[in-house]
Amino acid sequence: MTTNKTFLGVPVARPKVAFFELSSCEGCQLQLLNNEATLLDFLSLVEVVRFREGMKEASDDYEIAFVEGSITRRDEEERLRVIREQAKVVVALGSCACFGGVNQLKNRFNDLEWVKKEVYGSFPIETQKVKPLSAVIKVDLEIYGCPIKKEEVERIVTALVLGEQIHHPQYPVCMECKARENICLFDLGEPCLGPVTRAGCDAWCPSNRLGCWGCRGPAPEANLSQLQIIMAERGISQERMIDRLECFGGFAAFVAEVKEKKGEPK
Amino acid sequence: MTTNLECLPPVSGGEFEYSYKAEITNVYPLTRMEKLYQIQLVDPMERERFIFRPGQFVMLELPGIGEAPFSITSSPVRHGDLELCIRAVGNMTMFLDRVGRGTRVGISGPFGTHFPVERMEGEDVLLIAGGLGIAPLRSPILSVLETRSRYGQVDIIYGARRPSELLFDYEYAMWRQFDVGLDIIVDREEPGWQGPVGLITEILKERIAKGQSDRFRERTSAIVCGPPVMFRFVCDLLIAAQVPVEKIFVSLERRMHCGRGKCCRCNIGSTYTCLDGPVFDYWSVLNLKEAI
Amino acid sequence: MLFKVFAASELSRLFEILSVNRIVGPVKKGEDQHGRSLYDFDVVHDIAELHLDYGQTIHSAKNYFLPYRENLCTFTFQDEGSGDGGDWHKEVDYGVYAPLVLFGLHPCDINALNKLDKVLLGGRYPNPFYGEKRANMFIVGHSCSPQPFCFCKSMGTDSAIRGFDLFLTRMDDLYFAEILSPRAFHLLEQIDCHDPDSREHHRYMDLMEAKEALYVAHVDTSDLTKILDLEFQASVWQEWGQKCLSCGTCAQVCPTCYCYGVEEQVDMDFTRAHKEKRLYSCNLLDFAAVAGGHNFRPESHTRLKYRYYHKHRGFVEAFEESLCVGCGRCGQSCLAHITVPEVIASVRASKEEHDDD
Repeated sequence: MTTNKTFLGVPVARPKVAFFELSSCEGCQLQLLNNEATLLDFLSLVEVVRFREGMKEASDDYEIAFVEGSITRRDEEERLRVIREQAKVVVALGSCACFGGVNQLKNRFNDLEWVKKEVYGSFPIETQKVKPLSAVIKVDLEIYGCPIKKEEVERIVTALVLGEQIHHPQYPVCMECKARENICLFDLGEPCLGPVTRAGCDAWCPSNRLGCWGCRGPAPEANLSQLQIIMAERGISQERMIDRLECFGGFAAFVAEVKEKKGEPK
Repeated sequence: MTTNLECLPPVSGGEFEYSYKAEITNVYPLTRMEKLYQIQLVDPMERERFIFRPGQFVMLELPGIGEAPFSITSSPVRHGDLELCIRAVGNMTMFLDRVGRGTRVGISGPFGTHFPVERMEGEDVLLIAGGLGIAPLRSPILSVLETRSRYGQVDIIYGARRPSELLFDYEYAMWRQFDVGLDIIVDREEPGWQGPVGLITEILKERIAKGQSDRFRERTSAIVCGPPVMFRFVCDLLIAAQVPVEKIFVSLERRMHCGRGKCCRCNIGSTYTCLDGPVFDYWSVLNLKEAI
Repeated sequence: MLFKVFAASELSRLFEILSVNRIVGPVKKGEDQHGRSLYDFDVVHDIAELHLDYGQTIHSAKNYFLPYRENLCTFTFQDEGSGDGGDWHKEVDYGVYAPLVLFGLHPCDINALNKLDKVLLGGRYPNPFYGEKRANMFIVGHSCSPQPFCFCKSMGTDSAIRGFDLFLTRMDDLYFAEILSPRAFHLLEQIDCHDPDSREHHRYMDLMEAKEALYVAHVDTSDLTKILDLEFQASVWQEWGQKCLSCGTCAQVCPTCYCYGVEEQVDMDFTRAHKEKRLYSCNLLDFAAVAGGHNFRPESHTRLKYRYYHKHRGFVEAFEESLCVGCGRCGQSCLAHITVPEVIASVRASKEEHDDD
C-alpha cells in the first residue's frame, strides 16, 4: 500500500522496506522496536514488508534493504547479491555491516582453522574471514553504531524518504561529549576513542562513564597519530589502545599500519 | 522573606528569526543544472516595502529542509518580486529542484553589501562574470541598463565552460539593445557554437588593449563575479590596466547559516561575509587573509 | 559603585532569599584519577552544593546563555497532502519563562558575557535568543584564586567592573560586596551588612595585590594583532595543526565561542519540522565548507589558525578588545595540550627567529 503524501508540494512515496540479517546479534533491528512511542510514525513513513524481529510475513518486493551483520559464510555473499539485485537502496545497518563489527575480531588470528576448533570444537561449520557488506556489493548508505541509535535511524530514514542527501557528522565524539558536559574519561584514567571516532551517537558511552570503543569508525581526518601520543602520555599501553581500535573493525587500516610498524603480523 | 526575580518582557529583536512568507510563482529551467525561480512575497505590503540593492542576498528557507543564502538576480525595481538563479548542488537546492509553482517558502533579508552602481554613474563600467557568477552580476547589469544614459561605455564579459551552460542566453539580444559591448566566451566548444573559445582573460585582454589607460585609471569601475581562481586572474589584469583597486568590486561566496553576523560560518579572517560583504572592493580583498 | 561588607555566615541567608529562583552555580562533579576535584556549573538547590572555592570549572556556564543546542523555530504544515504546495506556519519561541541566578561567576566569565553582549546584542540584528536570557539573568560574581593555567591578567579580564548585579570577594570571615544594580541593593537590605570602614578597604586592596602575585601563565598581547597578520604563514601553525584533533573541545568549553550551525529536521509524520541551532567550532573539518564541496579551510592548521585569528585579532579589530578572557579552559581540556599561552608564544617566537636571521 502506497499513500500519496506530499511535502512542500513534492510527492513523497512510502517505500517498501525489508530488513535482513547476516552474521549478527540482530540487536540493531531490536533497537528499532524499542521505544514504541515513535514506532507508528516510523511505520507511517515506510511500509515494512520483511522484518524477522517483528513480523511473520516476508515479501521479496522491496525498494530499500536494511542489512544488518557481517559476512562470514559464502551463502551470505550470495544472499547479499540477491538483495542488491532487488533493492534500489542498500543500507548497511550497524557496525557489523559497515566494518565487520565485533565478528571481525577473529580476523586478527592468522589461523582461522584454529579459531574454529577453539569455538566450535568438532561441530562442522563453515566460517571464513569476516567481511563488511562493502567488500561484496556496492552499499548506498551506512548507518553506524553498535548498536545503531534509533533517533539517528529515524532522522536518516525520514531524509531518505524525502529524497534528501544524508550527511553524517564530520567531527569526532568529543564535540558531542563536551555538549553533554561530561568529565573527560582520560581525566579518570580511562582510555577513550572519542577524539578520533565519528560522532552522531550523542556520546552515548562516555555519558555513562564508559570510554568510547570506536563503534562508529573513524571521523574523517581522525588524528590517529596524536591519539597514540595521548594514550602513551597517560600510560595506556599500545596493546590496550589496539584492543579498542580493533574491536569493531572501523580502524582496521590504522591498526594494520601500527602492527606493521611493530613488526607484528597483520 | 525571599526575592522572586521577575521575568522581564521580551526584548526587541523579533525580526531575527522573521522570514517573509513567499511563493514560488514560476520556475524556468536555464541549463541542466540551474533554474530561475521567481519568488514573490505573499503580502503585497511586504512585497512593496522589500527594497534591495544589486549584489545583496536573501536567505531562502524550505521549512524542514534547510536555509541557504542566494544573491538576488533580478533588478531592484521589482522589489519583493524576486528572481533567484539556483544550481542544484546541495541538499536544500536539490530539494528545491523538485518543488513546483505555488510552493510557499521563507525569505529573509535583504542582507549584506551591494555593488555601488550609483557611484559608478558617469563612468565606464566593466561587468565580468565567470560561470554561475552571472547570477549575482545580472542584478547590477539590469540596474545599469535601466539607467543606461547615466553611464559611459558599458561592457559585459561572460565566460562559461560550455555553450550549453550559458545562463540567460535568451536575454543577450535585449542587453545588446542598450548599447553595451557583450562578449561571451566558452572553455569548450559544442556543435553549433559560433563564438570564441578560450579563457575569459583573453577577451578581457583584448578589451583592455582597445581601451585607453587614462580612462581605466580615472573613470572606470569594474564588477567581477565568479569562482575564486577566475577573479584573481581577472582582477590582476584590471589592476595592471590601472583600474584602481578600490573601484574593482567582487562578490565572495561563503556558506552563511544566519546571514545576520552571528553564526561566524562566513567569516574570512575576521570579516563577516554576510555583513561586510558579500560585495567587497578589491582593496578590502587584498587586506583579507584567505579571501580567495 | 556601592560597597557593603557582611559576615561570611550571612551568605546562606543571601542564598535563601534568592532560592525561590532557579540558581546555577559551581558544583563538584567528581574527582580525577589523582583525586583532584572537578567542578562544573549546574542547578543548585542547596547552598551546601555550591562550591564557591572552585578553582575553575571544566566547562563555562554557557549552556545557560548559549545552549549547545537550541530550537530556533517550529514549522507546522497545513493542508498536508493537498497538492497545492501546502502552507506552513512558523513559530518562534525564545524559551525564557523564568529568570536565572548565576551564582559564583568568576571575573573571567562575567567579562565573557560582556564581550558576547557586544557581538550578539549589537549590530543590526541583535540575537533575541541570547538577549532574552541575558535580560533575565541575575549575576552574583565571586572572587577567585588564579590557577596555574589562568592568564586573565594578560587579557585584562582579571577583574569585572560591570556585567554583574553583585560581586562578592571573600576576605576570611567577611564578604566584601560590590553592588551594581538596584535589585542587588535591595537584596542586601535583607541581610545583616554594613558599609566598609577604611580598615576593610585596605584589607580588600591588600587582597587584590596578593592575587596579582599568584599568576603563573602569561600572554604577551603587545602588537599581537600585527604579529598574527605578519606571521600568517609561519611554520608553527603547521606544527600545532599536526597536534590538533579537530574535535571542537576548545570551542565547547570556551565561554565566548559562539559560532553555530543550523539544522532542520522534519517529523516522521510530516506535520511539523524543527530548526535547530547547534554550537559549532571553527576547528571542525566542514566549518568553512560550501555547497558543492569546496572547503575554504581544509587543513587542520588553517582552522586552528583561524580560531586564534578570530579571538585575538578579528574581535580586537571590531571591538578593540580580544574575545579571549584567559580562563584557560581550552588548554586544560585539550588532549593535545594546545594552550593559548604556548601557541601565542610560539607565534611570537617565530618573529624572533626572523630577527636572528
